[in-house]
Amino acid sequence: MNEILSFFSTVRWQDYVDITLNSYILLRLYVLFRGTHVFRVLIGIALLWFSQRIAVSLGLILTSWAMQGITALAAFIIIVVFRNEIRSVLQAKTLKAILWGFPQKPVTTPISIIAQSAFELAQRHCGALIILPGMEDITDVVHSGIPWNGLVSKEMIASIFWHDNPVHDGAVIIQGDQVVEVGVILPLSHSKDLPSDYGTRHRAAAGLAEATDALVVLVSEERGKVLVAKGPDMHVINQKAALEQVLQEHLGVTSEELAYPRKGKVRFGIAALVSVLFITGVWFSFTRGLYTLITLEIPIEYMNSDPGIEIIDTSLTAVRLDLSGSGALIRSIQPEQVKVRLDLSKGVIGHNTFNIKPENVSLPPGIFLKAVKPPVVEVTLDVPIRKELPVQVDWVGKLPKHVIVSEAILYPKTVEVIGGNRILEKISTMYTEKVPVDNLTSTGTITVGLALNPASLKIAPDSKDRITVKYVVRKKVQ
Amino acid sequence: MRYKLYIFLFLLLCIAFFLPSQALPQDDTASSPVLAPKKLTLVEAAMCEGIKEYTPQNQAIAFSVTIGKVSCFTSFDPVPEKMFIYQNWFHRDELSTKIKLFLQPPRWRTFSSIQLREADKGPWRVEITDQQGNILHILRFSITD
Repeated sequence: MNEILSFFSTVRWQDYVDITLNSYILLRLYVLFRGTHVFRVLIGIALLWFSQRIAVSLGLILTSWAMQGITALAAFIIIVVFRNEIRSVLQAKTLKAILWGFPQKPVTTPISIIAQSAFELAQRHCGALIILPGMEDITDVVHSGIPWNGLVSKEMIASIFWHDNPVHDGAVIIQGDQVVEVGVILPLSHSKDLPSDYGTRHRAAAGLAEATDALVVLVSEERGKVLVAKGPDMHVINQKAALEQVLQEHLGVTSEELAYPRKGKVRFGIAALVSVLFITGVWFSFTRGLYTLITLEIPIEYMNSDPGIEIIDTSLTAVRLDLSGSGALIRSIQPEQVKVRLDLSKGVIGHNTFNIKPENVSLPPGIFLKAVKPPVVEVTLDVPIRKELPVQVDWVGKLPKHVIVSEAILYPKTVEVIGGNRILEKISTMYTEKVPVDNLTSTGTITVGLALNPASLKIAPDSKDRITVKYVVRKKVQ
Repeated sequence: MRYKLYIFLFLLLCIAFFLPSQALPQDDTASSPVLAPKKLTLVEAAMCEGIKEYTPQNQAIAFSVTIGKVSCFTSFDPVPEKMFIYQNWFHRDELSTKIKLFLQPPRWRTFSSIQLREADKGPWRVEITDQQGNILHILRFSITD
């Protein structure tokens, strides 16, 4: 019990928000794409990813590599192949519906009325085209629809397709319990597989079914038959019950749901629970799985220093941070995500010692600081001043035995340097870079740079940073 | 002979007349309050490998540590009175040794030396100061391999 309590004490409020937010996103994806091909493909991709992880854990190199490639490719494919379906989901709904609404299937669609109307029209040899859109938006595919927005009834359907009605040759679109458009012109199918005795109405039904996920109920005027077109299939329905079954399947309404509408809510509840469990599992795998340690060397950022004061010297430019976290998070961590910042606002001129505390270290979520090495940084602050210093050549090496360097004339003889007041007050000479004497056998001239020690010193912009040295070599008196 | 006697007496008179005129200015100079006393003047300063007969040998600005010793030679003229100077030896900017050297009027040559060790390699300077610490001259040199 104590272990459980101690575990919950380690979970931050951000973690609860994290899980809740992602669970909700997952649930929304389920709600929006439920019943579409996209959803099935998403499940397929998830299974592929899961298989790939298993393959990795089993050490199946080629399999894991292949699955990783397929998974990555599938993500692009889903966007390309199902762009219309995704677009229709996102376009057809308002932002509120996408973020919050629970789109309930139009259970009020009068399936039995539609089915009965279709067969009555068939008996009378009245041709008809009834469109029941699926998830895809069909507005780009159909033309010339006349808005109707009337409740579906047998009488209305019969009147629309009555021979003398001006719109009887077009199709009707039924959404929910309403006839939203009449006189709709459908694209004709160019398929050569259609039977030769199929007329224009058949080709129109097939054309729309091929292009979208809509279901088209077709009543053949000549034969008095009822046909259903969905996808590439078109087949005759002989009984009203069979047509009702087809319509229920298309609309995603089972007879159970019709009888027990609460079942739909239970399904959402289960989906929500699964989403929470799934995201919690993923969260655990990311944050708690395979506890890993890593050491990163991170540069120290010094902040809030007085504009008139300069950092003259620091004992460290970077610190090593021992970080811990789950393997997944540790592997994904980038050094740029980790910051070590020291506040110099309380620093004084001279020597300062700062302890690097956890609040000085900024880490990505889920990563924990174990140690800072070294934990202390020495910072020397000073007021920058200018000082003119004489230059001296730093001769090194071994001079040939028979000669001496008797004289050296420097140009310029002095340089102006900028540095901390406390540093410059201890410095009275600027030395050149080391000049080897090993090969000096005769008088000559060289140009050398200055050795800035400490490195915080700078040559003043108006001062030369290269020194010309004219040296005189003479024979040694033995 | 008398001719020679007259010449001799004439010369004596001339000497008797001119000698006081030469001594007076010296006395005036010595006693005059407006003229400054003679100031200590450094006429020569050099780093060298050694001193031989009060003369610096192998003056240079770079010395091998293998020679074992390096000297700072100075010559003052005039030296107005008994006094001393300092030769401050700096290895880089760290004072290594401060040597006090006495001077005698009217002129004086003096020097100081240091024994060289491996740790002494690098740039050096010797500041020659008067007894008040005023820098008279700075000599710069290096101890090399």
